[in-house]
Amino acid sequence: MSLHRITDIDELHRHLHAALQLEHATIPPYLTALYSIRPGTNTEAYHIIRAVVVEEMLHLTLAANILNAVGGNPDLTYRGFVPEYPAFLPDGETDFQVGLQRFSRDAIETFLRIERPAEAAGEGVRTVRRAKSAGALRAARVHDDSEEHFYSIGEFYQAIEQALVGFHKKQGAALFSGDPARQVTPAYYYSGGGEIIAVTDLGSAKAAIRLISEQGEGLGGGIFDYEDEISHYYRFEQLVLGRYYQEGDEAGKPSGLPVDVEWDAVFPIKPDARLADYPEGSELHAGAVAFNRYYAEFLSLLTRAFQGEPGLLIEAVGGMFRIKEMSYQLMRQPIDGTGGLHAAPTFEIPAPKER
Amino acid sequence: MSDASRATSQISPEAASAAEYDVVIVGSGVAGSILAKELSQSGFRVLVMEAGSGRDITVRDYEKNLERFYSEVSKDNNAPYPKSRNAPMPRSYETQKLRPGAPETSGYFVQNGPWEIDSTYTRVLGGTTRHWEGKALRMLPDDFSLRTRFGHGLDWPLAYEDLNPYYRKAELELGVSGDVEDQMYGGLDFGPGYVYPMHRMPPSYLDQMIAKDLDGTEATLDDETFTLRVRSTPQARNGIPNPAYDDGKGHRPTGAVSIHQAEMGERCQGNTNCVPICPVQAKYDARRTLFRALETGRVDLLPQAVASKVHVDAGSGRVTAIEYKSYRDADSPEHTTGRVRGKVFVLAANAVENARLMLASSLHGSSGLMGRNLMDHAYLLTWALMPEVAGSFRGPLCTSGIEDLRTGAFRRRQAAFRVGIHNDGWGWATASPYTDLDTIIDRQNKFGAELRRELVSRLSRQVLIDYMVEMLPDESNRVTVDPQYVDQLGNPRPVISFGIRDYTLEGIAFGRRLSRRIYQRLGAEDYTSYDPAAVGYMSYQGEAYVIRGGNHWAGTHLMGTSAKNSVVDSRQRSWDHENLYLAGAGSMPSIGTANTTLTLSALCFQTAEQIATDLRAASAPIKVRKSGSAA
Repeated sequence: MSLHRITDIDELHRHLHAALQLEHATIPPYLTALYSIRPGTNTEAYHIIRAVVVEEMLHLTLAANILNAVGGNPDLTYRGFVPEYPAFLPDGETDFQVGLQRFSRDAIETFLRIERPAEAAGEGVRTVRRAKSAGALRAARVHDDSEEHFYSIGEFYQAIEQALVGFHKKQGAALFSGDPARQVTPAYYYSGGGEIIAVTDLGSAKAAIRLISEQGEGLGGGIFDYEDEISHYYRFEQLVLGRYYQEGDEAGKPSGLPVDVEWDAVFPIKPDARLADYPEGSELHAGAVAFNRYYAEFLSLLTRAFQGEPGLLIEAVGGMFRIKEMSYQLMRQPIDGTGGLHAAPTFEIPAPKER
Repeated sequence: MSDASRATSQISPEAASAAEYDVVIVGSGVAGSILAKELSQSGFRVLVMEAGSGRDITVRDYEKNLERFYSEVSKDNNAPYPKSRNAPMPRSYETQKLRPGAPETSGYFVQNGPWEIDSTYTRVLGGTTRHWEGKALRMLPDDFSLRTRFGHGLDWPLAYEDLNPYYRKAELELGVSGDVEDQMYGGLDFGPGYVYPMHRMPPSYLDQMIAKDLDGTEATLDDETFTLRVRSTPQARNGIPNPAYDDGKGHRPTGAVSIHQAEMGERCQGNTNCVPICPVQAKYDARRTLFRALETGRVDLLPQAVASKVHVDAGSGRVTAIEYKSYRDADSPEHTTGRVRGKVFVLAANAVENARLMLASSLHGSSGLMGRNLMDHAYLLTWALMPEVAGSFRGPLCTSGIEDLRTGAFRRRQAAFRVGIHNDGWGWATASPYTDLDTIIDRQNKFGAELRRELVSRLSRQVLIDYMVEMLPDESNRVTVDPQYVDQLGNPRPVISFGIRDYTLEGIAFGRRLSRRIYQRLGAEDYTSYDPAAVGYMSYQGEAYVIRGGNHWAGTHLMGTSAKNSVVDSRQRSWDHENLYLAGAGSMPSIGTANTTLTLSALCFQTAEQIATDLRAASAPIKVRKSGSAA
């Protein structure tokens, strides 16, 4: 069984489940950096990271729409859906791990690697191999001693699109057998960056894939995409370069207003904090456990929303406020005996069931 | 030129004075911005002058205003914005109780009374939409023909049906959330199949509690029985888009304003902070429209330029230029004076400032009506504690109201009114929740868990119901200028004379009686009390009230059918100066029981069409005869 050659509908479902996992995997690192910014400071940085998080959630929702459209059943609650951080993401060019760290130059460098525009890909879908890791995502084809990854996220989605086109040729409209009532529509989801697309046929499926794969990395290295949206890579780069991009700019040479960053105005949180870092019975431990439990509930709420109750997404927005508040509660507190490091959510999500 | 000015098409005073525009607009509020957008999109070159600063073009600028509001002790409706001594704004806290015989001059307004009005407006980019609440009710068909139907007030030179298509444009531009089904009263007709761009704001828990006990209650006025019902309030706040909008094309909400990426503001998050400033920019403000105008590349913005005189050609009556005073520092009186020129001029600086500028230019109008018929809504606030927790302080300020008494035969005798249910507790009346905290700590000596319990019990049961009461045009209510009262730049300050007639007081008194019945039905404890020391305190037929202004200034250059009975025509064109338009609520001969912004926006869409027609006619190619003489 190969993840990158999709030969039947089960394989397609598996890939789309991997897409859900992949789209979600960047959210905890981005949220950690976002909420480590001291409230009231770093306005531009806060909004830049926030916008990317919102778009990652849009991508997650689009992936769920595609999976639902082809008769799958999105599930964000199984064990391992949230990787153990630091984790590898499937990016073939350079192996690097993504951790939970405070807003810093380092964190932004990592985010830039995540969102780096792919080199123009050839016709075929390429993969690379690397050593197995515990934190790895299911978007990898697992061998005995190594894992096979798509060369880029773009190529991962390209494989999915090729499968959709191929199956559609054989099956026609029957491929899109999912209940349209399970689709998340603009009534239930909003974000400044791109609009949610209800997937009901090949055209809308391709549009959804295009939005996901181009919004992150940009189209062939372009700063602004086909919807005049700035891609994630260039959004983050503005923080390093200290200036906003505007239409007509060349890569690396933004010409908009300055982006002022106060790198010190952050909570000095412990990188990749684990529950074990907080003494049993302490308030920090209880707070981190409560966070993880709440995050698990949040993922089950999203799962129910994706499994036929899209109206619950409105409730989930309220959940994001709670996640923010709970993050701040942890991040404001120093951990005893660490020389001043502060606590942070650990994203060790209790999930009883296997997929 | 700074990055910011380049990015927002800001122009220097020198460059603006050297240019020749198709249209010069004074004011960047909702009226000026709609005109700038419509006319620039039609290909015309436009200058927008703003007395306040041209800042607030990024999310960071916006959030500085938010922080200023959070840190200000006085949370009045202009609290988010920096003070400028060169473009001063009226502040509600400046309003003082009047003593007979002497005007009150300590604030920006000079108030003659007899009613000391605490209404304000905002002189910043985007105008008073920077502090408005966002209610976007249409006026009723009856409101356009008060004299014909009820024997007083004035008729409009327009009917509701004439304005209907422009109401639709305004509802799109402002981004109104509402359900047409809830607006079926008082003869309102939206046309077949019409829906608002977005679904209604969900009714709050408080609304639902009140509706449960109140729906079906009857009120009798002059032998006519009205059945009351709690209905959702249409408002310019982003909600869930209605997929049926625009024949099924749907609607995409417009969010936060910024010259750079700003992905926020596409949905209300229920912060209960709508007035003065929505923390997430889900509420419409006129910068959204202004930015669309600037995007055309045909609009220049001249900030920190206070229009000081309208120059008129004595022979033709045509406006030749607008003189302005341009300043660099909001505190320093240092300024330069210049003139800007265009083919058409529009004053869109609000009802008070438009009249003030005309009068400062000695342009009283052939009717003598300039500045007269000043109107607003008279507000009566009532407040009570619900018998159980009602979830106050959540959601937008108001999500529902009672509209059934907005018109009826009783308007021959008594003012119509609408009723607003507030989700923000007693804030408007008592400055709650801050005052509650003080009371519980200082007077009740509570702390810790007991303090928390008391706060929850007291705050989450609060309900405030307002009665927004109609006022008729009255020539003695007016804005004037007086050379002895000037601001730092030497511009005359508005002198306000305002009284409340019995017609309105009858409506106020009825509202108070109705409020007692309503609280009785709800089992709520009425805490309403009117302090004789308060601004707006007055008694009528043995009962005392505090009457507050609604910030809905209107009527100072009202429209009519001739130069004798009005200042402007139905397209807001000055009768006396054919290339001058006075735009905004000042043109409205009545304001009924609707907040004015939606209707004035609709009028401005119509006016934009007229100005475009004027300009095209003026630039139509002149036919040249063979002899060479122009035809």
